[in-house]
Amino acid sequence: MLIHRRTLIKATVAGGMAATFTGCSLLPRKTGPQPERYAGAVGLPDGRFGVSAFDRSGNVQWQAPVDTRCHSGCNRPGRKDTLFFERRPGWSFYVFDAETGQRRHRIMAPEGEHFVGHGVFSPDGRWLYATASRYQPGEGIVAVYDAEQDYKRVDTFELAGIGPHELTLHPDGNTLVIGLGGILTHPDYDRIKLNLDTMQPALILMDRRSGQIVGRFTPAHHQQSSRHVSVSTEGKVYVAYQYQGPLYERPPLLARIEDGQLREYRFDPETQAALGNYIASVVAHPENDLIAAASPVGGTAIVFRGKTGELVAKARITDCAGIQTLAGGDFLVSSGQGRLVQLSAGQPAKDIARLPVQWDHHLV
Amino acid sequence: MQPITRLFFASALLVCTTAALGANADTQAREQWHGAIQNGYESLATKTEQLASAAVGYCNAPTSDSRPALNDAWLDAFLAWQRVRFVDFGPVENNNLSWQFQFWPDPKNLVARKARYLLGTEAPVNAEVINQSGVAVQGFPMAEYLLFDEQLNSGENALPAAKNCEVLSAVTRHMARNARGLADSWASFKQHYLDTGPYRDTTIKAGMTALEILEERRLAQPMGLRGNGKRNPYITDAWRSGQSLMAVEATVAGLEKFYLPGLITLLKTDGEAELAERIQRQFEEVADNFPEAHGAMATLMESDERFRILQGLFVDVSQLSTLINDEAAVALGVVRGFNSSDGD
Repeated sequence: MLIHRRTLIKATVAGGMAATFTGCSLLPRKTGPQPERYAGAVGLPDGRFGVSAFDRSGNVQWQAPVDTRCHSGCNRPGRKDTLFFERRPGWSFYVFDAETGQRRHRIMAPEGEHFVGHGVFSPDGRWLYATASRYQPGEGIVAVYDAEQDYKRVDTFELAGIGPHELTLHPDGNTLVIGLGGILTHPDYDRIKLNLDTMQPALILMDRRSGQIVGRFTPAHHQQSSRHVSVSTEGKVYVAYQYQGPLYERPPLLARIEDGQLREYRFDPETQAALGNYIASVVAHPENDLIAAASPVGGTAIVFRGKTGELVAKARITDCAGIQTLAGGDFLVSSGQGRLVQLSAGQPAKDIARLPVQWDHHLV
Repeated sequence: MQPITRLFFASALLVCTTAALGANADTQAREQWHGAIQNGYESLATKTEQLASAAVGYCNAPTSDSRPALNDAWLDAFLAWQRVRFVDFGPVENNNLSWQFQFWPDPKNLVARKARYLLGTEAPVNAEVINQSGVAVQGFPMAEYLLFDEQLNSGENALPAAKNCEVLSAVTRHMARNARGLADSWASFKQHYLDTGPYRDTTIKAGMTALEILEERRLAQPMGLRGNGKRNPYITDAWRSGQSLMAVEATVAGLEKFYLPGLITLLKTDGEAELAERIQRQFEEVADNFPEAHGAMATLMESDERFRILQGLFVDVSQLSTLINDEAAVALGVVRGFNSSDGD
């Protein structure tokens, strides 16, 4: 998209680079052993792009410039590497020192391939798995890198499908969970969707050691593009859709694997409409049975119970996209307007902070 | 009734009335938009049909008279497209119709590459071949290349060469079929459009996006007002025919005719009649730049004096963009986000 200068200048009204807090002085901690730091790709007020990390006090720890807009990233377990992937079609990913933001590597995609914005590490922090596309034949792949050899490409796993997007690691430590959007694009043709009538989206489970596909689940409608995924601590696998059909249709946008098939969640008509047929992030909370999903198109974030599908929180947050899980059972949602909002079950949404940046889709 | 209760009922009534007014205005605006866009699509269908006929007519009997008529038919159809180009939702999304009509930007010059390939094939280039050849082949830029590309039209494949005629006829026939289908689909789409509330914002955003593309990509970037500061008329659309600025005029005219009336309905219902009037006046300010600004962009970039014509147009378009994308959008509560327009 075009970033409008006026819009960007407006984004600087908060001034400086520190967060403006509203009603509290410290951000909640993230869950589990994650670093006490939040990082996200950002659009800057002057139209350039970066990756920004801030601490729980809302102070920006570092901000690293990047050549083009980034999308999502991951932290290397046990090491101080924070990775960010360029937005689709991504020609590279960046490795930053998680504490200083110093750029350690920029790894280019091999000729004929591009990244799509997401990656995940093996539990020991050695192997990086990144979703990618061989764009001439339109083949989705998982590219494997060895972080101990300065991110040398060591393997390639075939997905037998088009348009992989987010991937994550199952708590079994061995299974990659991959959203396959099914949409064919080509760098020569901007971001034109070339196969909307013949899409074959899927949720794929893959053995990360052998690259063998051990599960493939197909949404009920062929235009439920399966882009984002999450797995709960108990191993419940969730997938979020971006529906490619007309706006006047309101198909389910979230599902999880249950009894060997995809169980879809459908909310009340008002909530379905508020999600705008488009989910940008889905995150299962590791401490409870709650799932959060954000729709920048609908300007709405929701929280629901995985088992019952009961909606327990809904908030209007313009351009919301990124989600982080917080210690204590809540979620933190980021927006393209620089907002950070805390969502709790049964509670009104709480504005935590506002930073003078545009948060891109995912917080890590 | 106690005064406080009366006050409550009175204010409740006011809230209900205002809400009902808003809902009525939304429906009314969508009715206006639907009807206006239908007219625009019908015109596109007519003009592309005439273009297809003109291509066949010229190729069957190439005369010095029929060639300008063919060029004019291309321009008329292209301008009809420019007037409805802002519509980026609904049936025009099917099969990437919008991209089929106009594949742009084209930084890798795919149009030329594909044209050379098709002109070089011995097998007949028929409807099926065009259908399978992708969006760079299927619309106005390809027809423009065949009609206006200087290198092509000074070589052996210049019109009315048989192969060029074959490709041109197939491409323009494809466009006419698409345009007819689009107009028919838009008519069928009417009830969904009227019944689905979110199409209000979708339609408002469509005009906003069109203005942003107009201001930034179709004017500021080729004029060298962004990035490296170099003027480059070849990154705008329709540079081969020198009609980039005619296209700009048509886009603005289309917005005024097919988009503005519905927008004004919403603004007036929201108590923004004064803003609606300013927007209306700014459309006139933009239109006043023509016909002076009708020249080819490359020509207007040749001297500072001529460049000032472009600058004047840019300033007026920019002000129009500010009025709609900032003021009207805020007044109507419409936000286009960093993430919501990203598609990931």
